Amino acid sequence: MSAGVVLYDWTPDVRCYAVRLGLSLMNMTYETRAADMDLPMGQRPAGLRPGERPPVLVAGSVRLSRPGAIMQFVARQPAVARAWLDPAHEWMILDWLDFGATALDTMAAARDIAFGTTLPVLPPMGALVAALRRMEDHMTARAMEGHDWFASPAPSIADVVLFVVFALTVDLGVERDTCPALRRWARRMRGLPGFMVMPGVPDYA
Amino acid sequence: MKRWQPVSVLSDIRRGEVAGVRIDGREVVLWREDTPTPALHAWEDRCPHRGMRLSFGFVRDDALGCLYHGWQFGGGARCRLIPAHPQVRVPASIHVHAYSVREHAGLAWVSMDGAEDFPVGGTGPDNVQPVRTLHVNASVGALRHVTGIAPDAGIAWHGPVGLAVHEPVAGQGMLHVVRVADAEEVPLPALSRWAERLRDAVESGAVTDRIMNELAMGELA
Repeated sequence: MSAGVVLYDWTPDVRCYAVRLGLSLMNMTYETRAADMDLPMGQRPAGLRPGERPPVLVAGSVRLSRPGAIMQFVARQPAVARAWLDPAHEWMILDWLDFGATALDTMAAARDIAFGTTLPVLPPMGALVAALRRMEDHMTARAMEGHDWFASPAPSIADVVLFVVFALTVDLGVERDTCPALRRWARRMRGLPGFMVMPGVPDYA
Repeated sequence: MKRWQPVSVLSDIRRGEVAGVRIDGREVVLWREDTPTPALHAWEDRCPHRGMRLSFGFVRDDALGCLYHGWQFGGGARCRLIPAHPQVRVPASIHVHAYSVREHAGLAWVSMDGAEDFPVGGTGPDNVQPVRTLHVNASVGALRHVTGIAPDAGIAWHGPVGLAVHEPVAGQGMLHVVRVADAEEVPLPALSRWAERLRDAVESGAVTDRIMNELAMGELA
């Protein structure tokens, strides 16, 4: 069923990492077409359409570019474990998935400012810090209720996207000790089968 | 002046866990052994090899391993294994700077200047459980004032609820909340939400009397 799934992927992009991580955790096989968006148009993969920016997932007639939509598409494949989009907790999963996807966009923009210069500068962090604080308060409350994950008894696609937000804000100067509940949850994420790293997200920690 | 600072609730540093905390602008790694009687350690958060933060590392039984090259440091803060040179007897001079650490009232207490005397003045209730630690974007002075922590005290008790603070860096505070274990009349989720409201009020400069009064009345909104 996964035959013919193609991901246009740009390694350092945070949204691409979220998609790679989700595909890996959900044990989905796919082909990668590497794209370097810093190169001129002519040197990008032929299949990437003008104006498109990775991640782009192509499966038959389906062509998706938003991480949240890609996560849902993969989680709804017959061979993927239902827990990733647990029907009993679907609305809460989708709510946190949307929250995470929006925060991911904010972070991508912040990283462009921080790293797209000769001298790194710290971008305005208010929106991201507010998002992390809401996540921290939520996971503190979840832990008190005996839950390990954001929206359901098992890890879901919401956890995948939110993990990327948390893991990579450290590059933007957010100190880990301000989010103890998220630190403990992130450690659980790292222990999942199929977990993968990217530059800035080391094997441990 | 030698002093003890509360730096984390104990529920955030369980068996086999490692966490970085900042104390007065200095980076400290807290870690707990993964052994049947797991001791807690507080060290400078810096591997003597290449300066990597040890809080990115991992606990293996009774040792902390550095993420970079796997150098392992035992409970005595001495390096005891360099994986690239497993036959080498590691010289005693290779060690991490260790701070004094104690567990008391649901909190980890660290002395950056080698204090050995404990506890931190005054006696509190027995059988205390940790609730949570919150980051507050306000000065420690403001937090101590609002929470009623006396200048020489480490913790302020409001009925069954204990509040403590420390300063990660200048201008910011960490608020630690603990509770007497059997004080079921103050439910933990409500206490956690109360602490969030106190944090938000302190940060926005709003009046905090009414929120603190909820503790005194034993009626968390």
